[in-house]
Amino acid sequence: MRTIIIDDERLARSELNKMLRSFPEIDIVDEASNADEAIEKIASHQPDLIFLDIQMPGKTGFEMLTELEWVPRVIFTTAFDEYALKAFEVNALDYLLKPIDQKRLEAAIKKIATADAREQKPEETYTNNEILTENSQVFVKDGDRCWFIKLSDVRLFESVGNYAKVFFGLHKPLILKSLNALEERLDPKTFFRANRKHIINLHMVEKIEPYFNNGLLVELRGGEKIEISRRQTVKFKEKMSF
Amino acid sequence: MIIGKRHYWLLQLVGWGCFFLWHIFGAWSFDKMSIPSERLLIIQRAAGFSILGLLMTHCLRIVLLKLKVLAKKASTQIWIFLALTLLTSCVAGVVEMIVYQSLGLLSKVEILITNKSLILIFLNNSLAWFSYFIIWSAVYFIYHYVSAAQREQIDNLKLKSHIKELELKTIKTHINPHFIFNALNGIRAMVDENPQRARTAITELSNILRSSINIDKSETVPLTEELNIIKDYLALEQMRFEDRLMVQYVIEDETTSQAVPPMMLQMLVENAIKHGISHQKNGGLVKLGATLANNTLELKVENTGRLKEQQQGGGFGIRSIRERLKLMYGNNAMFNIKQSSDNTVTATLKLPVTL
Repeated sequence: MRTIIIDDERLARSELNKMLRSFPEIDIVDEASNADEAIEKIASHQPDLIFLDIQMPGKTGFEMLTELEWVPRVIFTTAFDEYALKAFEVNALDYLLKPIDQKRLEAAIKKIATADAREQKPEETYTNNEILTENSQVFVKDGDRCWFIKLSDVRLFESVGNYAKVFFGLHKPLILKSLNALEERLDPKTFFRANRKHIINLHMVEKIEPYFNNGLLVELRGGEKIEISRRQTVKFKEKMSF
Repeated sequence: MIIGKRHYWLLQLVGWGCFFLWHIFGAWSFDKMSIPSERLLIIQRAAGFSILGLLMTHCLRIVLLKLKVLAKKASTQIWIFLALTLLTSCVAGVVEMIVYQSLGLLSKVEILITNKSLILIFLNNSLAWFSYFIIWSAVYFIYHYVSAAQREQIDNLKLKSHIKELELKTIKTHINPHFIFNALNGIRAMVDENPQRARTAITELSNILRSSINIDKSETVPLTEELNIIKDYLALEQMRFEDRLMVQYVIEDETTSQAVPPMMLQMLVENAIKHGISHQKNGGLVKLGATLANNTLELKVENTGRLKEQQQGGGFGIRSIRERLKLMYGNNAMFNIKQSSDNTVTATLKLPVTL
């Protein structure tokens, strides 16, 4: 697993680096000492795994994650703030307390390896640098609550000013991204621009009905009813016909 | 809830004793005591009233205690008191009628009325008893009401001082766990990299932990002692932050023997790192100053960074410093924290000079 260590303290990075040497499956490709540096390095190295310190100058680890286009597997490291980690609602995630216990580290790495084997090879989640597939993971923070979301679990993106509302499960947090920017990055095989305000997940469509103006009305698995504009209806029919 | 038994009996006896004397005095002032035959009757009657009153109110008290009336809401208490007083008066009215008639203690007027109507004498008696008992009830009620309020006040004061003590303890022993674990993590890395530095780091950390444990024993410490802890603390932080943390001391010699509250300056330095330096990507400077002027010891902690709105008014740390100063020095000490220049936050502590 290609790995990046992110921590503002050189000693902390070197200590973790030393500990990770006993894991042949971990290949440390780089280190970063703050969030901005980390964002760059994640984009260029496309690691499978990052070790992320939560408290860093400038931006916290959480803030950094929200700025990533897609998120690799994350193991948080922190000296003392489980309370920050309680914010996580949906995904069980791993965090290590510094000084890190070798056994805990081993368990965390093992857990990630088995999760990878069960799901899909991580390489396949970003075959193309530009496009996110439905297996890509994104990080969403809304107020005090955080989620790791797999794109395949998202039913709908709704435009709200400069923000987009992400519908998944029972939640609909806001992310600071425009619908147009999202459309460019999402896989057109899965996600479809229904109208000016909505992008829907085609796998989540439950019912399709004719609507005014030669348009269509689709109902998603969560019960949301979305209108497909006349212009997009032709494209939609093409997509769904085979 | 219950008045001391002795207290109760004393009040009862004095009260009904006065009641007896009041009757005698009444008779005397109407000049009825001069006739020997009537004199005996009057004394017997007055004694009867007092004894009956004492017995009836004692029964009333037993009922009040049985029903645990005093534990109820004040408004409910008043209604129960009224009802019970009325009931007791009626009983007393009947008892008086029967006893006085059988013992032949009725006055002439009463004999006349009794012959006319039993109801009338009963009403007359009960009404008189009600007016006496209502006074008794009022005294009983107010006595308990006041003593309960007093007890509550005392409990409150005790609680407050207890809380204060606890607060002081927690403020004093407060050392950021984040710091301890980060320091330990740094030391572990140093063990391989620079074993000598790792050894001194362990000593520094021990000094800090020891002083935070010992501190409860003394209200103030000499400034040098406090500075030693701060030096250890900053040395450890420098190990972690490396070239991101610069430290400067400007300490006047004559300040070092001054008494300061333990771990207070240390807390300010810790805040300077936590809210200042640790948020700066390129690090910054922590500057410590101690000067003496106009019988005031002025301690200053400056750090690179910007002050957040909420800190000025007081996060937990700042509020606790203010409270602790108030407890120790009243209005003779002062603390403030402000943005002293574009990229510098200054915390100032002014303490009265000790000789």
